[in-house]
Amino acid sequence: MRQALEGSLAVAKAVALCRPGVVAAYPITPQTHIVENISKLVADGDLETELVSVESEFSAASVVLGAAAAGSRAYTASSSQGIMLMAEVLFNIAGLRVPMVLTCANRAIGAPLNIWNDQSDSMAMRDSGWIQLYCADNQEAVDSLIQAYRISERTELPVMVCMDGFILTHTLEVIDIPEQDKVDRYLPPFAFDRRLDPSDPISLGALVTPEFFSEVKHSQHAAMQKALPDIVDADKEFKKLFGRDCGGLLAEHGDEEATVAILTLGSIYGTLRAGMEAHKSRKKVKLIHLRCFRPFPEEVLMAALDGVKDLIVVERALSPGLGGIVGTEIRAVLSTARKPPRVHNVAIGLGGRDVPLDMFSRLLEALKNGSIAEFSVFDADLSRLPEEDR
Amino acid sequence: MAPNASKIERLKELRDKHGRTDGSVLPDPADPPKDLRQAQPRFRGLEAGHRACQGCGEALAARLVTEAAGPDVMISNATGCLEVFTTPWPQSAWRVPWIHSLFENAAAVASGMEAALKAQGKSTKVLAFGGDGGTFDIGFQALSGMLEREHNVLYVCFDNEAYMNTGIQRSGSTPHAARTTTSPPGKARMGKRHLKKDLLSIISAHHIPYGASTSVAYPADIRRKVRRAMEIQGPTFLLVHSPCPLGWGHDGALTIEIARLAVQSGLFPLVEMERGEVTDVMPIRKPVPVANYLKAQQRFRHLFAPDDPRALQEREHLQALADYNIEIYGLYSEEADPLDTDGADTVRRGGLAN
Amino acid sequence: MAAITRGAYARPGTSLAFKTGTWRVEIPYHKHWAAPCHAACPAGEDQQAWLAKIQEGKLHEAWNELVTANPMPAITGRVCPHPCEQACNRGIYDAPIAIHNIERFLGDEAIRLGWNYPLLRPTTPESPAVAVVGAGPSGLSAAYHLVRRGFRVNLFDALPEAGGLLRSAIPMTRLPREVLDSEIQRIFSLDGLRFHPRHRLGRDVSLSELQSDHAAVFMGPGAERSKAWDVDGAVPADLHQGLHLIKEWVDHGEIPTPKSVAIHGGGNTAVDLARIMKRRGVEEVYVITASGLPGPGTAPDDVLNVVPRELEEALEEGVVFFPHRTIQRLIMRGSKMIGVEMVHLKKLPGKGGRKSRVSFQGTERVLNVDMVIPSIGEAVDSAGFENLIGNANYFRPDDWGRLAEHPGVFVGGDARGDRGTVSAAIGDGCKAAMAIQAHVEQTEVIDAPRETVGYESLNVNYFEPKPRAYVAKIPVPERDDFTEIEQDMIYAQVVEEAGRCMSCGNCLACDNCWTFCPDNAVIKTRDVCSDGSHYLFDYEFCKGCGLCATECPCGFILMRPQD
Repeated sequence: MRQALEGSLAVAKAVALCRPGVVAAYPITPQTHIVENISKLVADGDLETELVSVESEFSAASVVLGAAAAGSRAYTASSSQGIMLMAEVLFNIAGLRVPMVLTCANRAIGAPLNIWNDQSDSMAMRDSGWIQLYCADNQEAVDSLIQAYRISERTELPVMVCMDGFILTHTLEVIDIPEQDKVDRYLPPFAFDRRLDPSDPISLGALVTPEFFSEVKHSQHAAMQKALPDIVDADKEFKKLFGRDCGGLLAEHGDEEATVAILTLGSIYGTLRAGMEAHKSRKKVKLIHLRCFRPFPEEVLMAALDGVKDLIVVERALSPGLGGIVGTEIRAVLSTARKPPRVHNVAIGLGGRDVPLDMFSRLLEALKNGSIAEFSVFDADLSRLPEEDR
Repeated sequence: MAPNASKIERLKELRDKHGRTDGSVLPDPADPPKDLRQAQPRFRGLEAGHRACQGCGEALAARLVTEAAGPDVMISNATGCLEVFTTPWPQSAWRVPWIHSLFENAAAVASGMEAALKAQGKSTKVLAFGGDGGTFDIGFQALSGMLEREHNVLYVCFDNEAYMNTGIQRSGSTPHAARTTTSPPGKARMGKRHLKKDLLSIISAHHIPYGASTSVAYPADIRRKVRRAMEIQGPTFLLVHSPCPLGWGHDGALTIEIARLAVQSGLFPLVEMERGEVTDVMPIRKPVPVANYLKAQQRFRHLFAPDDPRALQEREHLQALADYNIEIYGLYSEEADPLDTDGADTVRRGGLAN
Repeated sequence: MAAITRGAYARPGTSLAFKTGTWRVEIPYHKHWAAPCHAACPAGEDQQAWLAKIQEGKLHEAWNELVTANPMPAITGRVCPHPCEQACNRGIYDAPIAIHNIERFLGDEAIRLGWNYPLLRPTTPESPAVAVVGAGPSGLSAAYHLVRRGFRVNLFDALPEAGGLLRSAIPMTRLPREVLDSEIQRIFSLDGLRFHPRHRLGRDVSLSELQSDHAAVFMGPGAERSKAWDVDGAVPADLHQGLHLIKEWVDHGEIPTPKSVAIHGGGNTAVDLARIMKRRGVEEVYVITASGLPGPGTAPDDVLNVVPRELEEALEEGVVFFPHRTIQRLIMRGSKMIGVEMVHLKKLPGKGGRKSRVSFQGTERVLNVDMVIPSIGEAVDSAGFENLIGNANYFRPDDWGRLAEHPGVFVGGDARGDRGTVSAAIGDGCKAAMAIQAHVEQTEVIDAPRETVGYESLNVNYFEPKPRAYVAKIPVPERDDFTEIEQDMIYAQVVEEAGRCMSCGNCLACDNCWTFCPDNAVIKTRDVCSDGSHYLFDYEFCKGCGLCATECPCGFILMRPQD
């Protein structure tokens, strides 16, 4: 049913459709509306779940770990500092190979304190072993959340669904909320073979010595790579039932023969798409939305970049002292390509800085006049900085 | 739903798998079964083959707690000696479902487990195990949250009064003046400067239905308190004094002796608290001088330096702390009580007397 | 090798693959010690073992265990000076176990319920026969232990009734005759035993006949000949020997009643006699003895050889003791006795370590008495077996009762001269039976005494102080010549009192080792067992920490270096 809903409410409804046994969360802007809406659903009797209002994000992650290990579908959500506080547990969950879903309402990490959107938080967790799916809009946030459980429970890998804070979470969109019976068909009841069970009392979280550690880590890496077809499959199956998809591992828009491509993650994709439609250019350009950042979809990306001569990687985070995070990874991946495109990497929209519609034109202009650097915080006005800090 | 019938069925199923078969005849010693271990007349929650040091108080305490609580339980275990020595992959000494996540989240993981079981309508009891580091210090916040949210979890802290797993560093539980590697005695210091945190009072201030301290020197007391806690719906807490021969500097054969002296001297009072009030204590029949307890351990050896006036002062300080415990908890009783510090461990042919 | 599991989970109990026993530098083991009571028992009873059976609630089994050493517990429970209680470790903790009262209870229960002796081997007409001379405590014991081992026994006594000294010299206030008769009757009802009363050796049957008809001969003639007594050659005209007086009294109820009497000697006969005379109205009764009274200053081997209860009762009744004293001079007026001169003395080691009596000049004291009665012991009356003993007062056999010059002849009881109690005589009978069996079967008799466990080996933290059972006595004014003074224990008391036994040096089945092993390396096979056999060390996993040994209340678990 199509409804005009705030992103957070839509996500809350999607969570309810997945029938989680346990939800644990700690409030943090801009994730709060998701948890508040879930709490309301529980209070109104529309969602039967154990809602655990914990004393920290650290405990939120720990509670959902315990819940999933004990055999329940579990959900949590956080942002920014909260994700940082969860960090130790997030690595742990992935290492234990326990399935669950977390929504990351992307927000900048302080200091300086900033409550607005960028993707520094989820990017900081890129090595945690979680599958990361980025959402271009709120419909994708809803659909990806439902898909995330299917992926997670098939692969026994945790999934982080990333949606830009405020830009998506606090924005009203017309959203098609799936029907419960269809979701039930799509998502079988939670089953986790290694769950804690007195009838078969296994021990989870053993000490692994150097003798075995490398193999355990290899298997985790291999599991992530093997999850790629599961992610694609989940999207395809979703389309069969619900008539729409999220593009699998990545989505493309624009000229198939394009020689210039702009790749991004999250809601900027929509902004650039609108910008592209407004932009009158003879140049063949296409947009790529890298939906699945972990595991990294190397093959699909290479195929998408076939024939592209210039690639602009636009991201909402950076690794100080190196530059872009996604850009750097793509450069690394392309090093084995036959005719790799030139990669230009920009960070924009940090800490909630507005990404205007003309950003598309500005990026192409910069590419055209050669002013686009290997990496830059593209929308930073350096004149506002003292000379020595530029 | 008939919880009693189903529960009995379930316990029977679990016992069949992991311990004595209910109602079955014990093996004939003249014709012993091949695996006598399988026929033990008690539930073996923590199996042999774990790698604790010789005479480990914590291993013993964990075994006793698990025996008394099991088999329909699941455990969330904080990082620490207990976790390391029981589960070096591919082996595990546990026969109950067990999970170790991190140092500071045993209580939170347990909260999640309990929430899940509640959601699934199951009656399996969740236990959380932590050392004093994971309970008094780094895991305290998660524990406080668990208690406040009234999760039906029994949290057991095995208190060996320092970070033993990392090599004997001071914790919030280390007694005053004790030597650890981060509170060494020297010209300017006499061991730990600060006091042992009164955790039980803090825990009890959460207004939980039951919190108690017990000691590995009194297995019957442990069993009784575990069973008491198991019967309660809601958060419960046990602090189990568990000597560490390596960290405290005593022979592994003396673990029980040392633990007993701690209780008999008043330095480690055994009390039960309900909703913030002290409801029962183990009375001390004949208070033992604290010095008897101290001198048996290397960690207090500097308190017996012959020509150091500080040594006597600190000894007197510790004696005063014990006297304080005896006074505020009313531990000293004029009359012998069958369950006091002398009577509680009395044995007779066939087992414990009381 | 096992495949690495997803997320590195582990299967339950798989630690059993890791054998921590290899860490061990010391290894625990069980040691069955002799409890001090057992070590001290002249009859060879293992009190700890039968108290353990009572603790298990198995009274009949306890009695069965008891009679493997002593066939007459109802008697010894009454007449034995119970050195077991003096040795009892519980005496250091609070008060010794009332072993003799429990023994008496068991003995009486056996009589009441008609329990039969458990025998080792049945007797057949082909079984070798042994002659036993003297149906006193040693002879009865020897006969019983021989039958128990499958021998046929011909038991001879000069008197019409069996019992020896038990019948002739022990007052009924200490040993009711129905108890004596019951226990003797139970022995006599054994298949393979034939009692020949009124058979005096040398008169009715000869030693050589016995020797030719039997595989061995046991001699238990007792010591019935009063030793000559004088003080520097002086002897009162009306001298009566102590033992003789008691026999007269037991047989005919007659006893002299002077105004005052000094009894010289320190045994049960002296004390029994003193009490009989006191009760019969003798105003002043003194016992003059070279031994000391029990107390902290008295060495155990210097204490009066008297049942402690009897001594206590004698003092209650007003008998006056002069310990560490001897009679140095008789004071006579003509042939009439008017007093004795006493002097202090002690048994002190001299040259070569042998103890001899040293009297101390300047400690002389005169005691005015009308009569003096020596009760200094008796010698063997060797009529009929002069060739065995010669001119000696006593036999001098080895510990098994064997006479070096007379193979096939064995001796026990008072005839040895170094015994002096009923229990020791019973012990002799048992040892001789073992030696006779070895003699007949031509094997070596083996004595493997266990080491005695000391108090310091116990962990008394696990015991609670508890007063010794109170056993009622007839008050002094109500005492007569026939009624037993010490009363029975009731069943509940027996169970309580046996429960006080600390099971020194042997398993208490308390579960401590099983409970305290941090490594689950003690295996329990059944709930209760008295000998500890149901706890096994699982050496595959035992790390040798020694906790079990420290916390064993009984000293039953020890550590030794791992080979």
